[in-house]
Amino acid sequence: MKKQYCILLVLGNLLLLGCEKDYLDQPKPTESVNSSVIFESADGAEAFMSGILRLSRDQFERDDSGGLYSMYFARVVKGNDLILGFQWYLYDYENDNRESTYVRTTFSWEFPYSMINQLNLLIDGVKNSSNLSETDKDAFLGQGYALRAFYYFQLAMEFQHTYSYDTSLPAPPIYMEPALEGKAMSTLGELYDFILSDLKTAVEIVPENRVNKSYINRNVAYAILARVHQVMGNWQEAANAAAIAKEGFRLNSSEYSLGFDDINASEWIWGMPQRSDQSNYFYIAPHAFTDNVNDGYGLAFWNKEFVSLFSPTDVRNTFVDLYKVGNGNQYYARASSKFTFDFSSDIPIIRSPEMLLIEIEANARLGNENEASSLLLTLQKNRDPNARASGNTGNALIEEILVERRKELYGEMGVEWFDAKRLRRGITRTGNHRVGSSANLLPDDKKFFLKIPQKEIDTNTYIDESINSNR
Amino acid sequence: MKYIIQSFLFFLFFPLVILAQQNINVTGVISDEMGMPLPGATVIEVGTVNGVSTDFDGNYSIEVLEGATLEFSYVGYQTQSVLASTKSPINIALTPDNELEEVVVVAYGVQSKQSIVGSVAVISESEIQSQPATTITQAIQGSVPGINVINTGGIPGTNPTIRIRGIGSINASASPLIIVDGAPFNGNLNSIAQEQVTSISVLKDASSTALYGSRGANGVIIVTTKSGTRSTPTKISLSTVYGNSTMATPMHDLIGIDDYTQFFWEAYRNNEMYENNLSPEVAAAAASSNLVSAMGYNPYGIPEPVDNQGNLTGDASWDTDWKKTILNPNAYKKQHGLSVYGGSEKTTFYFGSNYLKEEGQVKTTYFERFATRLNVDSQVNDYIRSGLNLSYTTSKQNSPNQSGSSFSNSIQWIYTVPGYYPLYKRNSDGIIINDSSGTPVLDYGNNSSQIVNGVRPALSNENGLGAITNNEVLKSRTYVSMNGYVKIDLLPELNFKSNIFYERATIDDFRYTHNKFGAASTVQGRVSQDRDFFTTLNAIQTLNYSKSLGLHQITADAIFESYQFEENLLQAQGTGYLPGVKVLNGSTVPEGVGGAINQERILSAISRFSYNYNNTYFAEVSFRRDGSTRFSKDTRWGNFYSLGGSWIASNESFFENIDWLNNLKFKFSYGELGNNRGIGYFPYLQVFDSGFNQLDNTGVISSAFVDPNLSWEKTALYNLGSEFTLFDGKVNGLIEYYSKESIDLIYDKPLALSTGNESIKTNVGAIKNYGLEFSLNSMVLKQEDLSINLGVNFSFDKNKITDLTQDEFINGSKKWQVGKSLYEFFIRESAGVDPDDGYQMWYKDVETDDGEKTGERITTKEYGDATRYFIDKSSLPEVIGGFNTNVSYKNFELSALINFSFGSYVYDSVYASLMSGFESPGRTGHPDLAKRWQAPGDLTDVPLFLNGQNDFNSRSSRFLFKNDYVRLRGLNLGYTFEENWIEKYQIQSLRVYLQGDNIFTYQSHKGIDPEQALSGLTNSRSHQMKTFSIGVNLQL
Repeated sequence: MKKQYCILLVLGNLLLLGCEKDYLDQPKPTESVNSSVIFESADGAEAFMSGILRLSRDQFERDDSGGLYSMYFARVVKGNDLILGFQWYLYDYENDNRESTYVRTTFSWEFPYSMINQLNLLIDGVKNSSNLSETDKDAFLGQGYALRAFYYFQLAMEFQHTYSYDTSLPAPPIYMEPALEGKAMSTLGELYDFILSDLKTAVEIVPENRVNKSYINRNVAYAILARVHQVMGNWQEAANAAAIAKEGFRLNSSEYSLGFDDINASEWIWGMPQRSDQSNYFYIAPHAFTDNVNDGYGLAFWNKEFVSLFSPTDVRNTFVDLYKVGNGNQYYARASSKFTFDFSSDIPIIRSPEMLLIEIEANARLGNENEASSLLLTLQKNRDPNARASGNTGNALIEEILVERRKELYGEMGVEWFDAKRLRRGITRTGNHRVGSSANLLPDDKKFFLKIPQKEIDTNTYIDESINSNR
Repeated sequence: MKYIIQSFLFFLFFPLVILAQQNINVTGVISDEMGMPLPGATVIEVGTVNGVSTDFDGNYSIEVLEGATLEFSYVGYQTQSVLASTKSPINIALTPDNELEEVVVVAYGVQSKQSIVGSVAVISESEIQSQPATTITQAIQGSVPGINVINTGGIPGTNPTIRIRGIGSINASASPLIIVDGAPFNGNLNSIAQEQVTSISVLKDASSTALYGSRGANGVIIVTTKSGTRSTPTKISLSTVYGNSTMATPMHDLIGIDDYTQFFWEAYRNNEMYENNLSPEVAAAAASSNLVSAMGYNPYGIPEPVDNQGNLTGDASWDTDWKKTILNPNAYKKQHGLSVYGGSEKTTFYFGSNYLKEEGQVKTTYFERFATRLNVDSQVNDYIRSGLNLSYTTSKQNSPNQSGSSFSNSIQWIYTVPGYYPLYKRNSDGIIINDSSGTPVLDYGNNSSQIVNGVRPALSNENGLGAITNNEVLKSRTYVSMNGYVKIDLLPELNFKSNIFYERATIDDFRYTHNKFGAASTVQGRVSQDRDFFTTLNAIQTLNYSKSLGLHQITADAIFESYQFEENLLQAQGTGYLPGVKVLNGSTVPEGVGGAINQERILSAISRFSYNYNNTYFAEVSFRRDGSTRFSKDTRWGNFYSLGGSWIASNESFFENIDWLNNLKFKFSYGELGNNRGIGYFPYLQVFDSGFNQLDNTGVISSAFVDPNLSWEKTALYNLGSEFTLFDGKVNGLIEYYSKESIDLIYDKPLALSTGNESIKTNVGAIKNYGLEFSLNSMVLKQEDLSINLGVNFSFDKNKITDLTQDEFINGSKKWQVGKSLYEFFIRESAGVDPDDGYQMWYKDVETDDGEKTGERITTKEYGDATRYFIDKSSLPEVIGGFNTNVSYKNFELSALINFSFGSYVYDSVYASLMSGFESPGRTGHPDLAKRWQAPGDLTDVPLFLNGQNDFNSRSSRFLFKNDYVRLRGLNLGYTFEENWIEKYQIQSLRVYLQGDNIFTYQSHKGIDPEQALSGLTNSRSHQMKTFSIGVNLQL
C-alpha cells in the first residue's frame, strides 16, 4: 500500500529538483566585467585606458620583446653609439634580425596591432556610449586617437622605408574599427594620412589634465605629432607641435645623473612607470640591459668615439671605466651609469629636450638659423656650464643638432636609427665595436625595416607570400 | 545548494514513510552437480542487493519479500533462478559453466559482461595486483587496446596524458572523464593508491559512455575501490616495497670542454670569414682574440686558449659535468600499505592506508603521499541499503622545473650550459671564491664586477644546481572526499538510489626563490604562494526498473544528476626576506595578491532502456540531456544519445555442435556525445579582464574576441565488434572497429595577427578518428604446477580532418586541411648541406610569374623562402599496444607487461638546439657536430659552424625522427610461501617479489624519453625512471 507513497515521493522529489530554474544562471564571471560597466561611466572608460597603458609595458613575448620599451631598445642597439655584449638583443645589434619567422619581426607587428585592437574597442565603445558626457567622450577619444596614431607610426617605421622614400609602397594594413577579418596592405601614404588625421583630431579634443605622466594629454599628443612631422619633413608643423608639447616641462640638468628611473622628473613628458608590484622585472629596457652594476643583464658599453664627444663637465657624460682597463680599445672599456636598474625603474618615452631639439632642427631647416642656434645653446649650456656657441651654420649646424640629439637621447628611443632612417642616411660602425662593418646600414638599406611576419601571411587572406619577395 | 538539502531531508525522513513489507525466510543447501556442498555460493534477491552467501556446509538462510525471485550463483557455475516460497528448504544443485560470468562496472551501475553491447575494457584486480605500480595509470598503459597513456617527464606524482581512441578534441579537453566510485573525479589520479583499487573499467564507445553525455565524448575511466565481503572474518594485509631508480633512457650526449672551445673558435672564425668577408688569416686572428670575451669566462687561464690555427694552447682547469651535478644517481622509492577488511552478515567494510615516497630524476625532486580510505556498506533492513566511502589523501611534491624554457629548468640547463662554465664562482684568475665560512659559492654568472669569469652570456643570474637546492617548488595537495548512497527497493522490480558525492581539494603551491642568489636576489628573495580550493558536489538520483517476462528481460533507468564544481583561488607574493625566512609574513615588500572564485554547473536528465531476449539478443538505448553553464542560454542545452545491440551467436542452436567455439558475440553501437571541458568557464562572454592596473588606477583590458554562439562540441561514435572464446576458454579475444567523428570542434582558430587577436575560440570543423583494436588472451598451458598465460593487444588509430569552416589554415608546425591528419607535420624540408659553402638548404617550389606552381622544386638557402610541405609524417603512432604474460610454476609467479608504439615521428627540438652550431655563445652542443662542413667539397648533413644569426637549425625535416619504442613497463617475479610453513606464525599468506619498472626500453631515436607530447615536439623534459624494487605482501 504505502509503496505507492514512496514512488510518488521519489518522483515528486525528482520533479522538484528539476524545477530549480536559475540553477544554471547563478554562476557568473568574477574575474572580469562586461562592456556595459566599462562604457557607461567615466570611471569605467578610464579603467580601460589604464589597462591599455599597462598592456603597453607588459611582458609580451620574452625578455627582448616585452613591450614598447623593447621596440625602442632594439632600435638603440642598431646604432653606432652603443656596443652590446653577448646577451639579449644580440641579433638586433648585428643588424641581422628581420626574417619573417623571427621573434623580433613577429613581435614588432603583433604588439602594436594588439594595442591598436584595444584602442579600436575603446574608441568604438566610447563613441557609442549613451551615458558618457561629451566632455568625457572627447577626453577618452583624444587619448585613444593619439595612442592609435602612435602605434601606427611605429608600424610605419618598422615595416617600410621612410615616408620620403616612396609613399606608394605597401605599408601595414589600417584598421579603424575592431575586426575579426584581416585587411590588405595599405600604402605608406595612406598610412601617414591616417596617422595625421588621428593626431589632428586628438590634439583638438584631448584635455591638458591627466591622471599621471603615463597617460596621454595635450602635450603628449603634440609630442607624437611633432615626431611624425619630423619624419615627414613638415618642418613648420613640427616646430609648432614640438613647442606646444614641451610647455611646462622645463629642462633640469640636475635630474640627468639620477638614473633615468623616475617618471616625475620635470623633463619627462610621457613615460612608463614600474612599481615593485607592477614590475616587468628583467624585461625593463634600457635599464636592465645597460646598467652594468645592478643585477640586470648589463653588458652594454659605449663607443669610444661617442664617449669622446662629451666634455668632462657635461652632465650627460655618465661614462665609467668599470673594468679598469684605462682608455682602452676593448669593447667593454666604457660603461655608462645613465640608467639605474631595479624592478621599479620607470621608463622614459618622450622627454622635453627631444621636443626642443625638434624645434631647433625645424628652425634650422626653415632658415631660422639664429633662432635655432640660440635654442641649441640654451640646451647645451643647461647640460654643460662650459658650453660655448659653435657658430655653425648651414649643414654644419644641422650636423651639430643631430650630434646633440645623440648626446641627449642615447639609450632611450633609438635616436641614431630614427634619424638615419628618416634622413635616409646609413649607419656606419666605427670605433671599438665588437661587430663592425657587417652590421653597417647603407642609406635606404632594407635592413631599416622588417619583413612581414609569416604568421600574418598564414592567417590573412589578403596578404600572400609575394609581399616578402624582394623585401 | 537547495536541491541537495532537499534531497538530504527527503532521505532522512524517507524510512519513516515506508512500512515494513511482508517478508519470508528461505533456507536451503547449495551443492555442485555431484551433490558436494558449495561454501561461499551466493544467494541474491533479484532486483535488489539483498544477498547472502553459504556457509562451509553450503547452508544459507535469507529473508526476502514474498514472491521474489532468488538467484543462486557460484563462480564457475551456471546461475539458477527460483521463485521464493515458504516451502523451505530450497535446495539447489548448480551445474558447472564453461564461461565465467563476469560482472563489469559500467556507467551508473554494473552489468554482466555478456549483456554489454558497447566497448568496455576491464583491468581486473588480479591484473592490477600482478604489477604493483605507484599509480593506477601505470596499470592501464599497455593493458587494454585503444588507450594511449603518455607520461611526459620524470617527475613522480605527475598526471599522465591519457587518450582513448585517438584525439577527439584539440582545444577542448581530449582527456577521458574519470569516475571514482560513481562520481566524477576532478583530482589528481595519482592521489589514489593502486592497492586500494579493485577494478578499472575503460568505456570507449558511445553506448557505454552515452550516459555521461556531455562529458563522455573522450571516453570514461571508471575506478572502483575495494570493499569488504559479507560474512567473512576480518583480514589484515600489509605490504611494503623498496625501490631504487635511475633514468630509464639515456639523455643526449654532449661535447666536452675542449671540443666546445675549439668548435666555438671555428664558428667565430667562419662568421668573420664567410659572413663578414674577412680574409681567413684576419678572421682566425679575430676568433682567437675575441674568444674569451665572447664567452665571458676563461677556464684555460691564458689570453688566447685557441691559436690562430684553431689548436688549443692550454688545459682547462675545470670542465663541469652538469648532468652529474643535477641528476639524482639513485633515487629511492618506498611504499607501505595496510588494509583491514571484512564483513558481518549485513555490513562490510574496507579500510586502507598507504604511504609512498618516491624521488625523481632531478635532485631534490620527490613525491610523498599518504592515502587513506574507508568504505562501509550496510544492508540496513530488507529494503534499504546504504554505503559510504570516505577518502583522505595528502601529498607533497617538490618539483623544480623540468620542462619548458624557464632559466631554472634543470634539463634545459644541462642541454644549454657547456662544461666551460664553472659550478662555483671564480675570480678573474680562475680561483674558486669562498664565502666567509670557507665554502665555495655557486656561480650564478652575474658577477658584473669581473669582465672575465663574471657574466655568463646564456642563462645568467642562475645556476643549475642552485636553482634546485636554493629554491623550493613545493606542491601540497589534500583531497577529502565523501561518497554516500542510499538504495531503496520500492518494488521487487523497482529500486531507487540516491548518491551524493563531495570532494574538497586543497592545493597549495609554494615557491621560494632565494634571497641572495638568482632571479630574486636583487629584491632579497621572493615567496609566492597559491592556495586554492576545488570543491565538487555531485548528486545523482536513480530509478531502476528491471523485469523478466519469460524470455524477455527489460531494464530501465531514469537518472537525474546535478554537478557543481567550484574553484576558489588565492594567491600572494612578496619580496624582501631575511636569510632562512620562507613564509609570507617575513616579506617586507608585498608584490601582489590575487584571488577569484569560479563555478560551473551541469544539470542532466538521463535515461537508459535495455532489453534482452533469452540472453541472446540484446538492445540498449540511452538518452541524456545536459545544460552547461559554459555556454550561453541559447546554446546551453545539448541532447546526447546512443543505441546499441548485440547478438550472442553461440547461443543459437546452429552453433551447438561446434565444440571448439564456446562464445561468439557480435555487437554494434552508435551515439552522439558532447564535450564542454577545457574551454574556460565563460568562453562565450565578451568581457574585460581585470588585473591591468596602472599604478593606483584600476585597469582592465578587453579579453580576446569570443564567439557568442559557441556551442557543444559533439562527437559521433560508431563501434562494431566481435568477442569470442575458443577451446573451452583457453583462448579469448576481441576485434573492434571504431569511428569517432568530432563535429563542431572547438578550436582557437588563428586570426590575422594584424587584427590584434591571435585567435578566436569557435566551432571550427570536424575531425575523425578511426581505427581497429585487437585483443587476444590465451591460457597456453595449465597444469597442476605450471600455468602460462599470454595476452596481446594493439590498436591502429588514424586521424583525419573531415570538415573546416574555411579552406585551410596554418598553425605552428601543422596545417589544417580537409583530408589531412591533425598530426601530420607541415614544415620545411631539408635539402641537406651545400658542399660548396657548407650552408643548410631547404626545398622551394618553383612558381611562374603568376604564382602558379610548376611542380618543380629547387633548393634555397633562405629559410623564409623555403616552401612548407606535408611530408607524410605524423606525430601520431600507427600502432600502439602491449603484451602481457603470466607464468606460474609451483609457488613462483612471473608476470611481465610490455607496451609499444610504432610509426610516430617526433620533432626533437632539444637535439635541434644542440645542433645550433654555436650560433650564439655559451650554448653547448651534440657530438654529431663533429661531422660539420669544414671545407669546400665536404659531403655532410651538418652545416658549417657560424657564430651569427642563422636558420640552420630552424624547424625543418632535418630534426624529425621516427619514434618507435618498446618498453618493458613492468616485470614481476614473486614467490608465495606454502601455507603450512607460515601457519604457525598465524600468517594466512605471504608473498615476496622483485619488481622492475621500465627496465628495458628499445627506442628508434635515442637521447629522449620516447614518451613525448602528442604534438610530437620535445620540450627539454626529464625522462621516466627505471626502478628496481623488492616487496613483501603479508596477510593476517
